[in-house]
Amino acid sequence: MKLRKIVLFFAMLIGWSVASLAQTKIVSGKVTGANDQPLSGATIKVEGSQSAATSTNEKGEFKISAKEGNVLLISSVGFKSTTVKVTGAGNYNVNLEVYVNVMDEVIVTAGGIRTKRKEIGTGGTVIKADNLVAGKAVTVAGGLQGKVAGLQINATGGGVNPSYRLVLRGQRSLTGNNQALIVLDNVIVPNEVLTNLNPEDVESVNVLNGAGAAALYGSSASNGALIVTTKKGVRGQSTVTLMNTTTVEQPGFFPKFQTGFGAGGTGYGYWGNFSYLENQSYGPAFDNVKRPIGAPLENGMQDSAVYGYTPGHTKFWVNGLTNQTDFSVSSGDENSTLYLSGQYVTVTGTTPDDKYNRTNFRMNGTRKISNKIGVAYSSSYTQNRYDITSATGSMYANMLNMPNNVDVTKYKDWRNNPFANPNGFYNPWYQNPYFTADNNRSAVRNDYLVANIEIKYSPIQGLDIIARQGITTRNNSNKNWTGQFIYTDYAKHTDQSSKSDISASVSDGAAYTTNLLSDFYAQYQHKIKDFSLNLIGGAQWRQDQAKNVGVSANGLVIPGLYNVSNGVGTPGATETNYMARQLGVYADGRIGYKGYAYLHVTGRRDYVSILDKNNNSFFYPAADLSFIATDAIEALKHNSVLSYLKLRAGWSKVGQVNLGDPSTNYGAYQLLPTFSSTNSGFPYGSLAGYSVGNTLVANNLQPEITKGIEAGFDLNLFRDKFTSTVTYFNTKTDNQTVNTNISSSTGFTGLRTNTGQTQSKGLEVTAHYNVIDNRRNKGLSVTVGGNYTYLENNVNFISAQLPRLSLAAYSTGGTGSYAVAGRSFPVIMGYDYKRDGAGHVIVDKISGLPTKSDTISVLGNATPKDKLGIDISAEYKGFRLSIVMEYRGGYKAYQSMGTELDWSGTGWRTAIYDRKSFVFPNSVYYDGSKYVTNTNISIANGNGNNGFWTDGINRDVSSNYVTSGAFWKLREVALSYSLPSALCAKTKFFKGITVSAQGRNLLILMAKDNYYTDPEYSDAGNNSNGIGLTGLSQSPPSKFYGASVKFTF
Amino acid sequence: MTNYSNRNLVKHKFFNMKMIKAIFFAGLLVVTATSCKKQLDINTDPNNATASTPQLILPQALTATANTLNNYNSMGAQLVGYSANAGGYGGFGTSVTYNFSNTDFSGRWSDTYDNLEDYQYIIDHSKGNPIYSYYTGVAKAMKVLGFEHLVDTYNDVPYTQALLGASNLTPKYDAAKDIYKSLATELDSAMAALTLGDNTPGVTPLGNYDVVFKGSVASWKKFINTLKLRLIIRGNGKVTFANTTFSSDGFLTADALVNPGFTRDNGRQNPAWNTWGFGYTGSDANKAWMPSRFILSFYDGTKLIDPIRGAATYYKFPATPTNQLGVEGTGIAPSPSGSFWYPGSNRSGSTAGNATGALKGPSAGYPLMTLAEAYFLRAEAAVLGITTESAATNFNAGLTAAFTYTLTNESGTVTASPSASLTQYQSDNVTSYLANFALATSTAQQIEAIITQKYIALNFVNSEEAWNEYRRTGYPMVVPGGPAYATFASTVSESTRADKLPARILYPSTEGSYNTANVPQNINPFTSTIFWAK
Repeated sequence: MKLRKIVLFFAMLIGWSVASLAQTKIVSGKVTGANDQPLSGATIKVEGSQSAATSTNEKGEFKISAKEGNVLLISSVGFKSTTVKVTGAGNYNVNLEVYVNVMDEVIVTAGGIRTKRKEIGTGGTVIKADNLVAGKAVTVAGGLQGKVAGLQINATGGGVNPSYRLVLRGQRSLTGNNQALIVLDNVIVPNEVLTNLNPEDVESVNVLNGAGAAALYGSSASNGALIVTTKKGVRGQSTVTLMNTTTVEQPGFFPKFQTGFGAGGTGYGYWGNFSYLENQSYGPAFDNVKRPIGAPLENGMQDSAVYGYTPGHTKFWVNGLTNQTDFSVSSGDENSTLYLSGQYVTVTGTTPDDKYNRTNFRMNGTRKISNKIGVAYSSSYTQNRYDITSATGSMYANMLNMPNNVDVTKYKDWRNNPFANPNGFYNPWYQNPYFTADNNRSAVRNDYLVANIEIKYSPIQGLDIIARQGITTRNNSNKNWTGQFIYTDYAKHTDQSSKSDISASVSDGAAYTTNLLSDFYAQYQHKIKDFSLNLIGGAQWRQDQAKNVGVSANGLVIPGLYNVSNGVGTPGATETNYMARQLGVYADGRIGYKGYAYLHVTGRRDYVSILDKNNNSFFYPAADLSFIATDAIEALKHNSVLSYLKLRAGWSKVGQVNLGDPSTNYGAYQLLPTFSSTNSGFPYGSLAGYSVGNTLVANNLQPEITKGIEAGFDLNLFRDKFTSTVTYFNTKTDNQTVNTNISSSTGFTGLRTNTGQTQSKGLEVTAHYNVIDNRRNKGLSVTVGGNYTYLENNVNFISAQLPRLSLAAYSTGGTGSYAVAGRSFPVIMGYDYKRDGAGHVIVDKISGLPTKSDTISVLGNATPKDKLGIDISAEYKGFRLSIVMEYRGGYKAYQSMGTELDWSGTGWRTAIYDRKSFVFPNSVYYDGSKYVTNTNISIANGNGNNGFWTDGINRDVSSNYVTSGAFWKLREVALSYSLPSALCAKTKFFKGITVSAQGRNLLILMAKDNYYTDPEYSDAGNNSNGIGLTGLSQSPPSKFYGASVKFTF
Repeated sequence: MTNYSNRNLVKHKFFNMKMIKAIFFAGLLVVTATSCKKQLDINTDPNNATASTPQLILPQALTATANTLNNYNSMGAQLVGYSANAGGYGGFGTSVTYNFSNTDFSGRWSDTYDNLEDYQYIIDHSKGNPIYSYYTGVAKAMKVLGFEHLVDTYNDVPYTQALLGASNLTPKYDAAKDIYKSLATELDSAMAALTLGDNTPGVTPLGNYDVVFKGSVASWKKFINTLKLRLIIRGNGKVTFANTTFSSDGFLTADALVNPGFTRDNGRQNPAWNTWGFGYTGSDANKAWMPSRFILSFYDGTKLIDPIRGAATYYKFPATPTNQLGVEGTGIAPSPSGSFWYPGSNRSGSTAGNATGALKGPSAGYPLMTLAEAYFLRAEAAVLGITTESAATNFNAGLTAAFTYTLTNESGTVTASPSASLTQYQSDNVTSYLANFALATSTAQQIEAIITQKYIALNFVNSEEAWNEYRRTGYPMVVPGGPAYATFASTVSESTRADKLPARILYPSTEGSYNTANVPQNINPFTSTIFWAK
């Protein structure tokens, strides 16, 4: 019945247009754009008419029926629209000025729905291709750093293909997933796809900061979303590009070393205090005399070094080299478009001998099958290969345990150099780091296929029925091995050797994941007088499946044969299988009034397989409002100062099921406690044995609910020379699904339950000012601007029984990252010195030694409160310069490498008192009745080994290694030059040539007290909420210098 | 009806193709909706068991107890002077200063409670089901053993509110004395369960699921009596036990050894061998520790002459290098591959074994309680008047059992005559009341002889028991500040006690974090003693 009415309505519409046709004539013309190039696909529309519209062909030509006196509206995305009045003349040539009125810009938003920016009532940022790849970052995540308000991107490790953690508007879930949802060409994909996608393929990234904007994606969307859209061919344009980028990666920041003291201690092999054996740098002051190091070799050879500082520790890391080669073909005609691309990237890392390569292929296309049916597809295949050390952490620790008088680099050739070989290596306790790196390897291969097909059926005007099927598969295999090393008898027994033979081992694993996503929805757009209507109803089906199989063998019999069949004893074997499904039905409606007011409402009901049947369905709504004051209020129109003002507000509620790890097990099978069968060596032959698992599960686990509001405005001034957006947000997440540690005396160590609330509120501001604008005549044009985020991320409460949760800790209940009720989320907790009421460290009246606190306490907030990105871009003739800087502040980091630097005595801190006895600063002692300021009671042993720096107090007091996390980074500087098109045209071969030079992280300025490493790192990995911890498993942060050349044909 | 609908269909077909499509899509949605339930019913775990039985839990739990005891043994060995730091290693920290932090040895707490939960599962799942009575009895006995270890290590611990899972996430601590009293009663209840099993037709036998006594209920009854004896002796004079009688089943007549089928394989080796001997691939195990000068003085003639057990226990005896705890630096010998506690001459890791002493080989059983300890307990009980047995008879039986355990090799062969060895031992030390009970004239000397011989018998076997007995009785005698053979205290001890030794380890940091309100405060490693301590 409804359908009939609609059909009738359209019949009437067609009737009207037929009636008006009678009095018209055909006008024709040509539309050109930049450089007077013909512009295809521009829209020509008769103003005031509903239907009379056409578009230009490949040569930019158009024909349209119009009456004399009609006004033609000529528009094209990326150009300023213009109007032409139809006069007596029959031919019109129109040049469009390059300009994007960002508010009219159509962007891809949740569900792949194209919406004009002005209609959107929620905050977000769109990053376009040029901006994304200016710095030629190898990954999309790297290219986004510093550019988006409200988005915090942390490279959580160093290495050849670092992982990134992307969090929008702070963390919501205590122990569940907080990372932004990644949507690639309308298909939900795992986070890792972002580091395996060719950035050159990306057309735009639309960052939907809040849950409201992303609500359509269902329960995964409570963390906001990144909508990544890849390039499509353009109708009427054929382009081939070829590009090469070469980048040098240079280690850019090192821990600070002391330079005054070398090998020695009180334990082993010393004369005076110098030791020829010690790994610790607690010897006497350097005297630059050549001395032996290590025991003589079996053949009598003796290693030696000048007893003076050598900067070998920083030279251990080498310059890496990245080479990216890209090509792409883009083409399109009336009925179809095609985009093909390929990329090959090779990377050598800053860790000696670490290698990585990646190959990408992409094929995107569209085809119009009939007037009513269109299809679109995008597919990409990526493969990456790692050949890296699996022992970065111990390699780094071994390196730090080489004294400061030893030139580390001279031990690189451990196979041929007898002093570098484990047999002859001078240090009997810590291995040669080069050997550690070489003898512990990891070879990983990943193949990804990400593809989707979309069919759009438009039976009647305004109605689109869309079916979409997406797939993401990952096929992985990995092999880790440790090589055998048999020491000579002499090496095992000389001096204080604790050298033990290394037995070879290998582990081999294979895994796949398959994520399927089916969407089916109908969209109906309609205009009634002043109202516009956009209704969507649909359903989504999602299935995630994963399997892992791993086998390991030890004691490999034939050295060098790294095969699991070459071991002794029963090989270790593991198998895990996971599958989870989600069904969602949703409706989305947007009502517009006169093009200046929009109300947008969404509702979605999810059904999930991973919760109990009684709790597995939940509904959540969202609404937002957009009001363009400058269009609505007469007094504000055509104002020379105020050019655009949009007010917006939104409210949303989103459910999220936070069970398990979304990237590995999808939360499946988390409702029942389990029994494990592999404890204590079982099974023994035919005798099986099971153990009660250690995790308790509360009954009736439910989804977490995030409710939030956001409000803000978009303000443009001075004819859009100044653009800005301001958004305030405040969200609360209740009913947290929490995995927490509990007292072992319960019989269990973990509990999975619903409890607690977190809150995240803040402000996101972006502003840009086009200081100089001579773009039209190719003169100098400069835009400066930036984005600022203020974030207050708190844990409001957890539960009476669980006032705090451990998110990531170095020992159970010890130093780590915690969620604590009433505090920032998360906080660093650890041991401090015992202090008096005024915060002075209490020392012993006799020994002058401080004492470690009995319990851990909060030592700092780990989430940056302030985040500032500054960008500057300038263009002049063919030159283009872009600069991106980022500041983060208002947070702390625990630098766990500090304990190793103090242990080894290589660290700067260990020499601040010249290795002498000292009075502990700002300390007091108890004189029997009160605390007295300590000015004279010295710590007797200010040296290492059994002295202050290596004892349990100094290294166990975590607050010694908590530093400010503040930093400034010059994220990107890129200068490119495009040859004038006229010059290129003369070659009759090239359409364009662009050369560029770019650098990333050129400047890394840390807070003064942070002389350790990059606080962006996370020792807990990119999937853990336990941020704020760094360690030795991350190689030093790097600077990148590169150059590119790009040819367009 | 058929006719009508047919007509309708035809009409639609002719009039509206779109309608059919709409119906098709609507139908698709309906199909989706109805199959929704089925679609979502996929949450059955294919990776882990979500249900179990007492038969499946028991063998694992008993083996896990052996692993737990192995960790207690490693801790006890360094605290009671069986082991000292070896050459080539540094950074012993609180292991040599005794100034423990709440992360030291924290695994004892978590491992024990984890293991106890398995026994609790058996108790809970066999409750009200008499055919599982044997399982109930064994689980209760083993639960007592676990809690006894906790009390002996930490004093007050959660007991009445422990192991309740989600019902109580922050269990209160019970007084150690009260727990001891309850444990003795629990042993009576364990005994009653076994007896109920004997009288229950169709009772599920223990069979091979019992990896200690291979299904011998009589042996479990003896074990229960012996365990109760240990509780009563240790709580003697401090705890008012409900009843101090023992069943007529008697005390242990053989070593109680856990052996699920230990073998030289991945994760399946005898736990002590795996920790101190060799890995299953033949790789070196822990080489950071070596025998102490103090313990060697009981073999090499300094205090007692015992070449038979010395050679059966130590590699290179009597030239076995030793150290005093806390002494680091040059001159301290490194540990050999396989450690000094493996006396065998085959030092090739992948074939080593079939030796005597504490580290016999990868397939040896792990002692839950040795027969020697049982006899020494009975000897002490006789001296204290708890029983009316002969102290001297049990003392000599304890020595014989100790020689038997030490001289038994991996494959179970007794390599020399224990009785002949004992005769020689007693004649070698003919003037020592430590070896010849008749010479011990006072009660104190008798207790010293019993505990000192138990100290030697437990050497690296159940070291934690020797530590308990030292703290309870003060034996073996040490001379604070004396030479290395006279005391086992660390040379860099920070202990404030007269004997320069620690009194205990601390509650783990996890209790401070997750059971903050209940964990006892201000526990000091030197002054906070276990309730039975001297």
